Amino acid sequence: MFIVAEFIVLLSTNLILMQALGTSTLFVAAGNRKNLLWTAITISVFTTAGSGAAYIVNKLLPSGAADLTPLLYTLIIGALYILILAGLYFAGGDLFDTAKKYIHLSAFNCAVMGTLFTVTERAGIYTSLDSFFGFILAGAEAGTGFILASFILTAAYARLNSSKVPAAFRGGPAMLIYLGLISMAVYAFR
Amino acid sequence: MQRNVRTDRFIWIDIMITLLTLELMEYFYYGTRAVVLGTVCVGASLAAELISLKLMRRRFTADDLTCVSDALIIALMLPAAFDYKIAAAAGVFAVVAAKNVFGGRLNMIFSPAAAAYVFMYTSWKNQLLMFTEPHVHTGVFEKAGSLVSSASHAFNISGKMDLSDFEILMGNMSGAPGAVSILLLAVAAAVLLFRRSISAGAFIGTISATVLLAAIVPAAVSRVDSVKYTLVTNMVLFAAVYIIADRRIAPKRDYFAFFYGFFIASFSYILTLTTAKENSIVLVSLVFTPVALGFRNLEKRIETVEQEELRAASLTVGEEASVDE
Amino acid sequence: MSKKKTTVFDGLISDNTVLSSLMVISPVIVCANSVQNAAALIYAFSAITFISVLIGSFVPKKLPYAAKTVIYAIISSIVYIPVKTAAQEFFPEVITRVGIYFPLLAVNSLIVLQPQTKFRSMKRTQMIPALVFYILGFDAVILVTAFLRELFASGTIAGRVVDMDTLVSGLGMPFGGFIFLGLLCGFYRAVRSAVRRENREEADSDVHSS
Repeated sequence: MFIVAEFIVLLSTNLILMQALGTSTLFVAAGNRKNLLWTAITISVFTTAGSGAAYIVNKLLPSGAADLTPLLYTLIIGALYILILAGLYFAGGDLFDTAKKYIHLSAFNCAVMGTLFTVTERAGIYTSLDSFFGFILAGAEAGTGFILASFILTAAYARLNSSKVPAAFRGGPAMLIYLGLISMAVYAFR
Repeated sequence: MQRNVRTDRFIWIDIMITLLTLELMEYFYYGTRAVVLGTVCVGASLAAELISLKLMRRRFTADDLTCVSDALIIALMLPAAFDYKIAAAAGVFAVVAAKNVFGGRLNMIFSPAAAAYVFMYTSWKNQLLMFTEPHVHTGVFEKAGSLVSSASHAFNISGKMDLSDFEILMGNMSGAPGAVSILLLAVAAAVLLFRRSISAGAFIGTISATVLLAAIVPAAVSRVDSVKYTLVTNMVLFAAVYIIADRRIAPKRDYFAFFYGFFIASFSYILTLTTAKENSIVLVSLVFTPVALGFRNLEKRIETVEQEELRAASLTVGEEASVDE
Repeated sequence: MSKKKTTVFDGLISDNTVLSSLMVISPVIVCANSVQNAAALIYAFSAITFISVLIGSFVPKKLPYAAKTVIYAIISSIVYIPVKTAAQEFFPEVITRVGIYFPLLAVNSLIVLQPQTKFRSMKRTQMIPALVFYILGFDAVILVTAFLRELFASGTIAGRVVDMDTLVSGLGMPFGGFIFLGLLCGFYRAVRSAVRRENREEADSDVHSS
């Protein structure tokens, strides 16, 4: 029961299926199964760490300065982006070369920035979420949702790009309709 | 190849015969309007299939008639007094958005009927879940006088059903006309299973999970009632036969198909129990499409490995034979 | 194989941001369900993107990729502030309805990624008209999408009721946006490839006749 309930929550709050956040990134990464998994994991790191930092920024920001929020969130993601790249660079080895493309792809996109805004919005509604760990958890949940969406897309990837699909729909358009139909069924749960 | 084509056509004929029998029962309970509704749905689907195949520069063949069975499945899930325009839209949606944009029958991803049903569920839920009583015949161009909610709805809310077993078996209860004729559905399931026209694994998986969960976590006061009523309500039997066990969608190997059906039924049972969501099995079957695709990908990999092993073994035998010579 | 010649008009149709590159699609999927929403998004997207990319073009190209990405995002987030203040005057209700998608326009791919790919080799005099057409391409798609979705999902055009007896309310939902955009994309690609084929055939026949 608990697992099913959690699965429904994960689906019905999914940032791709319900909010279309990070869909372009998902399509770019979907070309390769390894790419997709690593991108999804990197995005999860950004959403989790970014949400924690967003909590601190929200608490420090005066109430009259809400328009500065996007700028501050951009600074958070920018700082994370540079820090992770620098950390990997100084760690040495092949890791930097392998991971940098995923980091470039994952840092500034709607999935990460959208999560920070969504988590903040939800914390405004559900006060139980309005804590540092609540933000971290919500960020991790959003990242997990992205991973789930990437699995959903991976399962059909070969068929959506098959030569049997009409050329006009092959790839992106077929992926959009596929996600749309899954999203439609999830919406019907609500 | 030739044999596959013939098998596909026999499967279609088997399914069509069972669907037409259900349609006949619908005519008996709801009159001509139900048949006209089915015809509208089939006509719209067929037209959409012809036009989209022409746009795809493909020839229409006898195999493309599967759109007719899909349209009939859709029609059997609709209330008899349902709006013709919406039924036609659902038929077109099933063919275009759920099938042909992905390459048609050669590259099936979703069950067209399930996708069309969910499409209507999200936009016209109130119309879709309100039914005329059995034996109330609405005129072909008339609007239904009084509508009632389904017996499934009453069971989901109260855990009770005020109907005799005979009435349930004969389909004399309010609900989607094709999905309430339990006796006919049971016979159809047996025939289709015997003829291997539906996936036995997926069907048995669905029924097993439903029975198991209905017994362990009963939805009614007694476990027997819970099992009995859970099987006959919320389109469980209908979806198990025509949507989940659809050979075009379900995994090919029976044990994978069993788990596919088992997951869908478990998930939908819990969903129905916790949210009283009507006909959730159809919604869940659409959400679980990636699971079917995942199983199919796995099967393909297993087949490749098996073929490679066979090839390696035959090569080894060949080498040994040449050494012996 | 000859390389396709690029022109400043590409962004409007042949290399449309949404339909061809599938970028900046989330506001189209979620918010483009009414003409009023579309008008607010068009205003915000056009203003933020044009000003940000223009200012961003002064950022030294020799800087590392990551540094440029962060700088572009910071510039657009600063540009967002006056744009939002003005939007609150013109579209107060829409801002609330569009929610998080309004600030998200500040980190759209056209601002953060394209200056480093599409516009990189262009001179500023060439980049400005190209950028305008890319923006117009997005604006056209969001307007058409919003118009059709509003008409069929709500039975209205810019809030005015139209006589429609069967409405598809799901079309106004995000899943409707996914499916609609997928179909629109497929239609666009089919038309584009037909036009290209025709142009190629014409060119071939010209070569043969000469």
